[in-house]
Amino acid sequence: MITSTMAQNGKAATIKTTFHRETSVSIEIKADPAIVWALLTKASDYPHWNSTVTSIEGNIALGEKIKLKSILDAKRTFKLKVKEFEPEKKLAWGDGQGNRVYTITKNGSGTITFSMTEKIGGLMFPMYAKMIPSFDQSFEQFASDLKKESETIMSAK
Amino acid sequence: MTVELFNQEFEGIVGQLKSYILRITASIADAEDIVHDTYIKALDKLHTFRGASSLKTWLFTIASNLAKDNLRAQKRWTENVTDITKEAALNNRQFFQEAMNIRMTSPHGQYEVKEHIAFCFTCISKSLPLEQQLCVFLKEVYEFKVSEIPTILGTTEAMVKYYLHAGRSKMINIFDGRCALINKEGVCHQCSELNGIFNPKQNTQVELMKIDLVKEAEKGDKEHLFDLRMQVLREINPFKSKASELQLYHLEHNRQVMEKYLEKTVD
Repeated sequence: MITSTMAQNGKAATIKTTFHRETSVSIEIKADPAIVWALLTKASDYPHWNSTVTSIEGNIALGEKIKLKSILDAKRTFKLKVKEFEPEKKLAWGDGQGNRVYTITKNGSGTITFSMTEKIGGLMFPMYAKMIPSFDQSFEQFASDLKKESETIMSAK
Repeated sequence: MTVELFNQEFEGIVGQLKSYILRITASIADAEDIVHDTYIKALDKLHTFRGASSLKTWLFTIASNLAKDNLRAQKRWTENVTDITKEAALNNRQFFQEAMNIRMTSPHGQYEVKEHIAFCFTCISKSLPLEQQLCVFLKEVYEFKVSEIPTILGTTEAMVKYYLHAGRSKMINIFDGRCALINKEGVCHQCSELNGIFNPKQNTQVELMKIDLVKEAEKGDKEHLFDLRMQVLREINPFKSKASELQLYHLEHNRQVMEKYLEKTVD
């Protein structure tokens, strides 16, 4: 698994194969996992803190369908299903073309490691691979925004 | 703690408690019932009160739990509550006649812009998710510490911090977008319009400039403006102020309008 060997510096890494592309980012956040989880699962709040997401409609809960609009492709609405939902640990959503997985790992020093991985692909992937923009910058921004918002909330007195 | 001491201390807290319940429920009847039930319950459980928290925290915990039971069953209001209720009021001649009657005859029927600012916040705060609304009031208006609120709401300090941050951010955004007192492009002028109706001899601009929130608006510090708005709420007891009867009448009108409006809307 890529996340286990990934540096926690907020820099994205992408691995490409013929039929798949996988982008990951990992970052250390000084905040309670409950805060990070709350930010990741409150759909309507995303635009307030996340500069890469224009909107998310729906309820982020296991089995629910959500509609996501991203700055990567402003005209497109991604219709996704929430596939995994383990509070304060793991969240995954996706469609037929790929899955995005968020994980929160406690470090035991008042910090957590947040990781995000998206794997896209399939048999037809080589035909449209070049049309899909790189996720690296958007992933780094997502992680950075989440860190900033979580740590701001955590530092409140 | 003896019953005598409890009664004495309760008297000192009940004003804030009733104000808090009114502001989260927007219902005079609920505020009175919940405060009454809180007293009965607290008296019944007085032997269990060991002073681990302050009496104020303990009473707010009981009252919050009673209120949450009611509020969880209700739909949340919408951000544009003041537009919806204004339209309803404009189509209700009787509302204005009664309001004017209160204005002219009641010792608590004055109209003050500051009172309306507090009233407006009460209404719009009901568009927040319940936990966020409660945290904002407990921290910003009733001055509980972040470390005391988890006891009151039965949650963790981390979640209180999240609810506070999210609730505060949303209220700042709503007022920044809507409130003409702090944004020249704001769509809601209701506090000024009502001042023109209820205080026709006053120069509304002069009155507005007596309010710190308005004086500081040009600096554009949204966080500071929110703090000044909270200061207005802290200074007003909605049951005892010079404008209480008029504002409570208006609040009751808005609650009834919103309940009907939300009944019609589909989930």
